[in-house]
Amino acid sequence: MEHWIYSINIAGHSAAFNLDTLITMWLTMLILIILALCTTKNISIIPGKLQVVGESIINYFVDTAKANMSEKEALKHSPIILTLFFFIITANLVGQLPWHLLHLHQGELASPNNDINMTAAMAIVVSVYYMYYGARRKGMKFFFHGFSMEGIILTLVDWLEFFIRPLTLAVRLFANILAGELLIFTFVSLCAYVLPIPFMLFEILVAIVQAMVFTLLSTIYIATAVEETH
Amino acid sequence: MAVEQIAAQGVDLAKLGAGIAIGFGAIGGGLGIGIATKGVVDSIARQPAIKGFAFTTFLLGAALAEATAIYAFVIAFRLAG
Repeated sequence: MEHWIYSINIAGHSAAFNLDTLITMWLTMLILIILALCTTKNISIIPGKLQVVGESIINYFVDTAKANMSEKEALKHSPIILTLFFFIITANLVGQLPWHLLHLHQGELASPNNDINMTAAMAIVVSVYYMYYGARRKGMKFFFHGFSMEGIILTLVDWLEFFIRPLTLAVRLFANILAGELLIFTFVSLCAYVLPIPFMLFEILVAIVQAMVFTLLSTIYIATAVEETH
Repeated sequence: MAVEQIAAQGVDLAKLGAGIAIGFGAIGGGLGIGIATKGVVDSIARQPAIKGFAFTTFLLGAALAEATAIYAFVIAFRLAG
């Protein structure tokens, strides 16, 4: 279960990269870029099939954002929300392809999200994003809620949430994808022929649901950070 | 004392711990998803027009409840392997 580690040494400082995660991540990026170029090549009022799919996903998430924030804010924050969704769903589904036909000398190719570094990076980006926009919109009132009893409790809970939110976002996605792969390995070692098939189908469902859960939670965090106080 | 006696007899305590971890973790996950299903069935029975929103919210709630059981699964796998 080790990764294929590639270490470089620049002027005395060393860094190690998990090269198998990077390879599947680059493949995910390539798939997304090709799909985006194909979809937007001939945009027309009467949409082709790919454009219908893209527009329905975008409409769903922008409508969910508009239900939680005001319209102007929803349009402003929808690029990061939609980027997260498209990247995570493509990354999860890339991991369900038959990668075990290729043998690496160390480590194995799988979904890029089975590495805690990948999901932690996305969770930290979402956290810093909502903290920045919350602080910019509300100033000090975002971090401190006043000296009353409920103010102190709200402040303490908020500071705790600063650490808990990226942690649970990262570990939820990582654990779901990794646990799916471990489950498939366990069943393949029991009986490799027909038994893993229902679990592989279940893993495809988990891939789509976890992408949606990450994106909806990020939307709710951004919405609670930038909402207008009453 | 009893733990050292058991470990001296060759029982691998890490694998035992893995079994206990996933056992307790599965209880929480199963109960959580069951309660979420009860909630969604009750709400659709009261107001059938809410079916779309209720299904989406149910999937979100079930995934969040499942996550805790999956934390336990990952710890169990790390202990056992």
